[in-house]
Amino acid sequence: MDEITEPSTHFLYPSTLFASRDPYIVNTILGSCVAVCIYDTVWKYGGINHYMLPFWNGQGLASPKFGNIAINKLLEKMQILGSSHQNLVAKIFGGGNILETGNVQFMIGDRNIAVAKDMLKELKIQIVSQSVGGTLGRKIQFNIATGEVKQRMIEKQQHVKGNPVSITQKADIYNLFEK
Amino acid sequence: MNKLTDEELILELRIRMNEKTDALHELKTLNEKLKTVNKKLEESEAMKSHFISNITNEIVNPFASILGLSKNILSVNKENWKKVFSMVAMIHAEAFSLDFQLKNIFAAAKIEAGEIYPEIGKVDIKNLIKSVTDSFRIEAQKKKVSFESVFDFPESEGSNFQYKTDPEKLKLILSNIVYNALKFSFDESKITVKVWSEMKVMFISVHNQGEVISDEYQQLIFDRFKRVDTNITSVNRGHGLGLSIIGSLLDLLGGNISLQSDKETGTTFTIEIPEFIEEEDSFNSSLNGNEIFFDDNQVF
Repeated sequence: MDEITEPSTHFLYPSTLFASRDPYIVNTILGSCVAVCIYDTVWKYGGINHYMLPFWNGQGLASPKFGNIAINKLLEKMQILGSSHQNLVAKIFGGGNILETGNVQFMIGDRNIAVAKDMLKELKIQIVSQSVGGTLGRKIQFNIATGEVKQRMIEKQQHVKGNPVSITQKADIYNLFEK
Repeated sequence: MNKLTDEELILELRIRMNEKTDALHELKTLNEKLKTVNKKLEESEAMKSHFISNITNEIVNPFASILGLSKNILSVNKENWKKVFSMVAMIHAEAFSLDFQLKNIFAAAKIEAGEIYPEIGKVDIKNLIKSVTDSFRIEAQKKKVSFESVFDFPESEGSNFQYKTDPEKLKLILSNIVYNALKFSFDESKITVKVWSEMKVMFISVHNQGEVISDEYQQLIFDRFKRVDTNITSVNRGHGLGLSIIGSLLDLLGGNISLQSDKETGTTFTIEIPEFIEEEDSFNSSLNGNEIFFDDNQVF
């Protein structure tokens, strides 16, 4: 039998994405952010993103900080690695409404979740499991080789400390609601 | 099924009518939104093609100059060797700007690909700032602009202020700010870089005397590819990528940027960067100590 090697771990920062054909354990911490895990059921590997806001509004760089860009970029990357679209399934996590802006209309978590669901539906990628919404943050661990995701709910403060909401980000949120 | 009375029928009709009106109203607002998004898309597409032609200019022109100048140097007679100095200076200037633009383009590409990570170390801030201002010295001499650095650290830090952050990214952020400051400075003015720290947050401000950035434009300049004066192409070069990169890199480091500009005091960009907290560490530590515990029933 093959020797079983420990998969390497990768910590996924917000606004980044990760996909690999090698076995990896990907850790990340989510608050109002959403992570979409994509898994190739034939080639048995996956990829994950971690976005903070639903849509790119044409300001700043078109980075995977924004849901619509992060999901497309991740799928692009999976395709580059050799995946066929029809073999892909998705799991989505995060989108807690933990941002304390004192205003209910900035339910950024809900909007982040909606982007993932809408886009995946449009792309005809099935969401096989999910843990979204609520008021708590999440620590998740995605096993790229098996597609399994472990989760632990965490307290608000702990999350906010690890993933500070900068003023620029708040400005982005305001921009989103400008019109 | 029961037969409806006339009243019930009218009531039901009224409810349905109301629902229709609501739906129509919603449709209308959604349409409005769609229109604005569409407009933005058009603008973005136009900007993209603009961007490519801009970039071509930024890269092709300096290269052409470098090639031309070095060719000239090769054909200079021994008697005229003094001419070589000025040509080498020009080559340096072109190569310097090319290097700067390329660094920005690669950084932007990395950010857009989502493949940029903080690489944290203890950074000697004094040294870092010196290396940034030194790199601009030759360019600054042309405009007779001088640099001044002011360090205001807490006593306890001693003379070497060490700060936990990402040196390469901080360097790129500062280079972009200084590059801008220099670009818009009046001749024979001074650029002041000031560093101080408050409650574990480091502040770096870059102040210059130059064109005032109006309130209206202060909002605009953080947009991608946007430059305040779109007409000038030769005097003030650059493709407006700098501030978007600064924004994204500061996001990564949990920092912020602010801008103040008026006639009397000049223009000041101030960045604030909190000491880096390893999210990775906080991931590996649970509430009560040392290990991560995943709930058994929370496997997806």
